[in-house]
Amino acid sequence: MAQQRSFNPYTENGGTILAIAGADFAVVAGDTRQTEGYSIQTRYAPKVFRLTDKAVLAVNGFAADGNMFVKKVKQRLEWYKHAHSKDMPLQSIARLIQTMLYAKRFFPYYVYNILGGIDEQGKGAVYSFDPVGSYERETCRAAGAAQSLVQPFLDNQIYFKNQTGEHPTHLPLPHVLQLVTDSFTGATERHIEVGDGLEMFVILARGRGSQELEGVAGIREVTTSDERERVFVINRDLKRD
Amino acid sequence: MFLTRSEYDRGVNTFSPEGRLFQVEYAIEAIKLGSTTVGIATPQGVVLGVEKRVQSPLLEASSIEKIVEIDRHLGCAMSGLTADARTMIDHARVTSQNHAFTYDEQIKVESVTQAVCDLALRFGESMDNEDAMMSRPFGVALLVAGIDELGPQLFHTDPSGTMMKYEAKAIGSGSEAAQAELQDKYHKQMSLLEAYKLTLSVLKQVMEEKLDQHNVQLAQVTLDGGFEILNETKLREVIDAM
Amino acid sequence: MDHFPTNWGRPRSEAVDLYNTYPLHNRPGPKADAFTEGVQRTQAPIVTGTSVLAFRFKDGIIMAADNLASYGSLARFKDVQRLIPVGAYTVIGGGGDMSDLQHINHLLEGLIIEELCEEDGHALGPAEIYEYLSQVLYARRSKMDPLWNSLLVGGFKDGKSFLGYVDLLGTTYTASTLATGYGSMIAQPLLRKYVEGREETLTEDEGKKIIEECMKVLFYRDARSINKYQIATITEKGISISESLSAHTEWSFAEKIRGYGAQTQ
Repeated sequence: MAQQRSFNPYTENGGTILAIAGADFAVVAGDTRQTEGYSIQTRYAPKVFRLTDKAVLAVNGFAADGNMFVKKVKQRLEWYKHAHSKDMPLQSIARLIQTMLYAKRFFPYYVYNILGGIDEQGKGAVYSFDPVGSYERETCRAAGAAQSLVQPFLDNQIYFKNQTGEHPTHLPLPHVLQLVTDSFTGATERHIEVGDGLEMFVILARGRGSQELEGVAGIREVTTSDERERVFVINRDLKRD
Repeated sequence: MFLTRSEYDRGVNTFSPEGRLFQVEYAIEAIKLGSTTVGIATPQGVVLGVEKRVQSPLLEASSIEKIVEIDRHLGCAMSGLTADARTMIDHARVTSQNHAFTYDEQIKVESVTQAVCDLALRFGESMDNEDAMMSRPFGVALLVAGIDELGPQLFHTDPSGTMMKYEAKAIGSGSEAAQAELQDKYHKQMSLLEAYKLTLSVLKQVMEEKLDQHNVQLAQVTLDGGFEILNETKLREVIDAM
Repeated sequence: MDHFPTNWGRPRSEAVDLYNTYPLHNRPGPKADAFTEGVQRTQAPIVTGTSVLAFRFKDGIIMAADNLASYGSLARFKDVQRLIPVGAYTVIGGGGDMSDLQHINHLLEGLIIEELCEEDGHALGPAEIYEYLSQVLYARRSKMDPLWNSLLVGGFKDGKSFLGYVDLLGTTYTASTLATGYGSMIAQPLLRKYVEGREETLTEDEGKKIIEECMKVLFYRDARSINKYQIATITEKGISISESLSAHTEWSFAEKIRGYGAQTQ
């Protein structure tokens, strides 16, 4: 049998994403670099998307699948809203993502998803998924090219693993934002596929004050409805080499 | 001159000159021959009651199924050609499970009722490469009772595919008198027991035979207990309390 | 024949009539999914175009591509225009399989005609063309039957520039400088150096000089290129595609080489 040149429908576009759940907030972040092999395709390609004022989805892996998947999730959210006259709760979005991913179990979306937001009880939540829909709720998760660099750092700084002594049960928002920034600057140093820019989404529970975000450089609000949860975006530069 | 009404009976989904779908209207008439069914919504939950209409003393009354569960938080009672309701109930159950599976949450009462109503007008002749449709409309009306995040709710569906939310509703042969009685006696702050008593008194009025635990059936949907058909003991208690 | 009397005289779908003996080739066969057919349906590009470059400048977008369609290593067609205007606001630059590019052109022509006939006061701009192509290319790759191309979509509409990349996998990205194929290795670093930060001040003439510099290097280094190319500019004035140009190249150093080929000291 002669060697047949085969079309590979997948490729890897690099980048890293991360999400952390607080007591009454959630942070979902991703770098903005998109690569293929040793080439940088662009320095700004968003990987983190606002679904509703309560839910933000980060997608990483094969960018074409990631972007298409986000579009399809947004479409399902809209249909649900028309059919049931309410926004989809976060745990339902998580389950929906599982069924959408598993539906292509035999030609998967090559995407690692991380969903972050506020649950029905007003608490911060993070759900992480594998490409075929296996999912779990967690306090923090990193995925993508620099997962192996970032996740251990988070395990130590958020779960306080391998640390003795007293530690707080809930981390304050400015501290969490610092951890995210440090994760990405560290990853940028040592992973060639990470860099260029950092985009962080912060989701605040209903009624939670935003004073801690005042004066943060490069912040802008993207909330669409009043008297509800609020969503902010913070952009930062990362090294471009 | 306009042709007489009977000319327009032939096309099942053909409008008459007055803009009526006769098959649908005739189906609604069929329900008026069915056994009386009552539903009452209270802040504590929703109550359903049916007249079993046991035609013969040799009939096993327990085999008459006119109130059924759709999901833990939903149930419904039927009146009319009850055999027609089987596909509707099955569709409601599948829709409810599909929703729970896909969205990890209980489906809204209104949503499952809407799913059932979507079946109503799928009758008539189908083209070759289409899915076959029903030859006639459903001849049954449902009272769907359930609890969701908006509280206890009661919906009425009929062969036209219309759904309407009610605080209290009666359908079937004694429905006119029953509905008048409900309008008179119902108030928003009823307790579950008061609702049971009102249901039974309404059924008693319209039933020919003397009401007892064998010729009526009661059910409730509450937040804690979910959907429950009252067993013999509980049923007897309520009847005695009346 | 159809044996069921109730179906005679009624509208009938040819596709599902199993008794149909004409036309034979339309008889529905056993359906197979993409994976079982996978081995037979994989493709390789046959007649191909090489790099396409594009970047933003002060007034809009500038894009360039050479006039060659190669047949493997044979420089087969040397007068091919790989920059395609679409409607009044957009230019597509196509690398990869040329027959697939012609098919894409056909699809886009149809799109534009439909839009024209709609007469609803709207016209398709570069953003819409880009979205359409992304969906088409991604859908084809998802059927394991790709349109084997790397495309740049550039345009100017309603006072705004647009520049995007889409390829056979459905991968998309936008930046102020883009290049496909060898261009992404050789020209992109030059474009990023000369254009980044100056998108709002670069003039058309400066832009053309940068293009010439890049096309020169590509001709030197890409073995599947020729020194004959066109430049397209899209501004608020519309689309303008130049006649074929050549970059000045220096080959006299070749005579002085010792040690390779025939000359040995």
